[in-house]
Amino acid sequence: MKNTLLAVLMGALLVLGFAPAGHAEVGVTDTEIHIGQWSPQTGPAAPWGAVARGTDAYFKWINANGGIHGRKLIHHYFDDAYNPAKTIAGVKQLQEQTGMFAWVSGVGTACGLAVKDYLMERQIPWVGPSAGSRHWVTPPQKHLFNVYPLYLGDAQLLTEYAVTEMDKKRIAVVYQEDDYGKQGLEGARHVLEQHGMELAAKVPVSISDTDMRPHTMKLRQAKADAVLVFVTPGHVARLLGTGKAMNYEPQWMSTTTCGDFPLMIAITKGLYEGVITASFGMAQPTGNVGGIEHINNPKNKLMAKYKTEVYDAYAADDERWGYTFTTGIGLAEPLVEAIRRAGRDLTREKLVAELEKMENFQGLMGRITYGPYDPDDPLCRIGQQEIFLQQCTADGGSKILTDWQKTEFIPMSE
Amino acid sequence: MDMKRSYYDDVRLFSSGVTVFWFVALMAFLFFYPFVFTNYYVYMANYIAINIIVVVGLNLLVGYTGQISLGHAGFYAIGAYATITLMTVAHFPFLAALVCAGLIAAVFGFLLGLPALRLEGPYLAIATLGFGLTITTVIGRIEMLGGRQGLHAPDLVIMGHHLTSDRQFYYLAVTITVLLVLLARNITKTKVGRAFIAIRDAHIAAETMGVNLVLYKTMAFALSAFYAGVAGGLYAFVLRFIEPELFNLFLSVFFLTMAVAGGLGSVMGPIAGAIVLSFLDLQLRNILSIPYIGDWLRDLSASYFSLTGVSNIQFVIFGSILIAIMLFEPLGLYGLWIRMKKYWKPWPF
Repeated sequence: MKNTLLAVLMGALLVLGFAPAGHAEVGVTDTEIHIGQWSPQTGPAAPWGAVARGTDAYFKWINANGGIHGRKLIHHYFDDAYNPAKTIAGVKQLQEQTGMFAWVSGVGTACGLAVKDYLMERQIPWVGPSAGSRHWVTPPQKHLFNVYPLYLGDAQLLTEYAVTEMDKKRIAVVYQEDDYGKQGLEGARHVLEQHGMELAAKVPVSISDTDMRPHTMKLRQAKADAVLVFVTPGHVARLLGTGKAMNYEPQWMSTTTCGDFPLMIAITKGLYEGVITASFGMAQPTGNVGGIEHINNPKNKLMAKYKTEVYDAYAADDERWGYTFTTGIGLAEPLVEAIRRAGRDLTREKLVAELEKMENFQGLMGRITYGPYDPDDPLCRIGQQEIFLQQCTADGGSKILTDWQKTEFIPMSE
Repeated sequence: MDMKRSYYDDVRLFSSGVTVFWFVALMAFLFFYPFVFTNYYVYMANYIAINIIVVVGLNLLVGYTGQISLGHAGFYAIGAYATITLMTVAHFPFLAALVCAGLIAAVFGFLLGLPALRLEGPYLAIATLGFGLTITTVIGRIEMLGGRQGLHAPDLVIMGHHLTSDRQFYYLAVTITVLLVLLARNITKTKVGRAFIAIRDAHIAAETMGVNLVLYKTMAFALSAFYAGVAGGLYAFVLRFIEPELFNLFLSVFFLTMAVAGGLGSVMGPIAGAIVLSFLDLQLRNILSIPYIGDWLRDLSASYFSLTGVSNIQFVIFGSILIAIMLFEPLGLYGLWIRMKKYWKPWPF
C-alpha cells in the first residue's frame, strides 16, 4: 500500500514536471500568435482574476472571427495567486518552454516588477500591466507599454471637480498606505496647491483596519465637505456605513478601482448612491455628459457589442459581467490593434513600431497615445492619460459628469 | 539506523564510504544541474534552495527543540529588508550584508525566544503568529524601508562579478544552502543539539540534568531566525523587488508545512519536504494543462462547482497530498525513506 502510494506520488510529480512541452519560435507561427498573461485566480486577490478571463474571452472572440491576418491568438494565462515568486516561475516557464510573442496585462505591481527586468532584458513586448503604478514608466522601457491610467489622475480630476464645480472648501483624503494611496494624496495636493488651498485632513488606513470610527472622527473634526477615498472597495463600504451611522455625510469621491457601481451598490446596501468616482472608460462620455449608462444594459455601442459577442458567447456561466472582466478586454485592445496594424509579417520590432505610432487609439478605455522611445520621457510609454467622472445612481447606473479630461503626470519622488 | 559503537561514530559527518560516495555524487549532480536543465528549472532550484534554508532552520526549532513558530515569515522579511538596506544605505558588499541580515534576524529571534520561555504549545503559536504579523506592519510604516511601496534590490555583485542570470545565482544559493545544511547537521550532533533534543523530549528533566533552558531555548530561536534571515536575503534577489505584503501568514504556515510534511527531527526530512512542496507549489498551477486530467477536472468543475474557481483545484490537490503524507506516514517524507531503506536492507535475499 505504502509503496503504491509512493509510486503514485512519484508518477504524479513526473507528469507535472514534464507536462507542458514547448515548440514555436518567439511565439509566432504560420497559424498562431502566443500571448502570455498572469493573474491571481486563487487567494485574496482572486477577484482580479476576471481580468485574465476577460482577455481570454476577447481572444476567443477574435479567433472565432478569423483571427488576425490568418493567425489565431493563443492565450496562455496562469494563476500566480498574487505571489511574485510564482509569477516569475510561470513567466519563465511559458517564455522558455512555449515561447511567448508578447505579454499582456498581468495583475499586481509586485508581481509585475518581479518579471519586468526579465522581459525587458529579452526585449519581449509587454502591454498594459493591470495596476496603475508609476513604476511602469519610471524609467520608461522600450518594450513596456502602459495602458492603465494612474491613480494620480483620479485624484487630480476629483479634486478639481470638487473645488471648481461643487464649490467644496475642505477636501480630505483617506488613503491606503501604499503606492495607490500615495498617488491619491500627491494628486490631490498638487491640484489644491494650484488653487492656493490645503488638505483639510489626510487619514491613513491600514489594510488590516476594520473599525472606521477613528477615521470618520478625524474627518468630521476636520469638517471635510468632500472626501477622496483611496482604499479597497471593502474599506469604502465600511467607511460609508460608519459615516452614515455617525451622521457624517460629505461628498464621497473615489477611484476607478471603486467604480464598479452595481457591485458597490450591493456591498454598501445602497449607500453608494451619489458617490462620484473616476472612470477610465467603458462608457463614452463625449456627447453624453449628464446621460446615464448602465453596465448591464450599455448604450455605448462597443460595450454592448462586447457584452453580447464576447461575454455572452465565451465567458463561463458563473462569470460576472463587470468592470474587472471588461478591463481584461480594454487592456488587451491596444496590443491586438498593433498586431493587426503590423500586418502578416509580424515581428516584435514591428509590433513596437506600430505601438509607438499609435495616436488617440480608442477602444473601451480612454484615448491611447504612445511616442518614439525616449528614456527620459515617461509620457512616451504612459498610454492613457484621460479619464472622466461619473456619479452612482440608486440602481448602480453611472451618471456621466464630465467629458474626457486630460490629467498631468507627476514624477515619483524617491 | 546503523549501529553506533562510540560517540565518535555518532558525530562523524559520513557514517561510511557509501555515504561519502553519495555525497560526492550529489555534489556533482548539483554542479552540473544548470547545464542539464533549462533556465526555468534552474529558477525552480533557486526557489527550492532558499526554502530548504528556511525549513532546515525552522526544523532546528520545531523538530529538535520542540518549540513552534508561526512567525517565520517575519524573520524572512527582516533578512530580506536588512540585506537590501545594508547594501544600499550602508554600502555593504552582498555577502557581508547577507550575514549581518542573518544576525539581525537572529537578534529578533532571541527576543522572541524570551517570551517563549514561559509559553508552550498553542500559546507560543499565537505569540509567534503575532510577531510575524506585526513585523510586516511595522516595516510597512517605515519610510526608509520603502513603506508599503516596497524596495528594489540593487545589483548583485560578488567580488567584482555581476550575478545577473538564474544560473549564476544558482551557484551562490546552492553553495550557501549546502554550507548551512552541513552546519545544521553538525549543530544537531554537538552539545547544543543534544540540549535542544533534551528540551524537546522533557524540558523539566533536561533542566534537572543541568541544561540551561533560558540559554538553549533562546539560542534555538536565534539560530532558526538566522537561517530564515539569510534565506530572506537571498529571496530578495530572486524577486528583485520586495514589499511587506509578500511576507504574510500564509508564508509562515507554508514553511511549517514543509518542515512537518518532510519529517521533523531529522536533517534530510525538511530538505525532502522543501523540495517536494516547493515543487508542487510552483508546478500545481499547471494541473489544468495536463492532458486528460486537466480536461476531466474542468468538466468536473463545470458540472458540480464553479468554473471560474477551477484554479482552486490545485489547493485541493495540494491539501490531499499533505493529508495522504501525514495519514500514511506521520514521520513525513523522511519516514517513507526510512521505511524504504528498511524494506530493501536484506536485498537481494
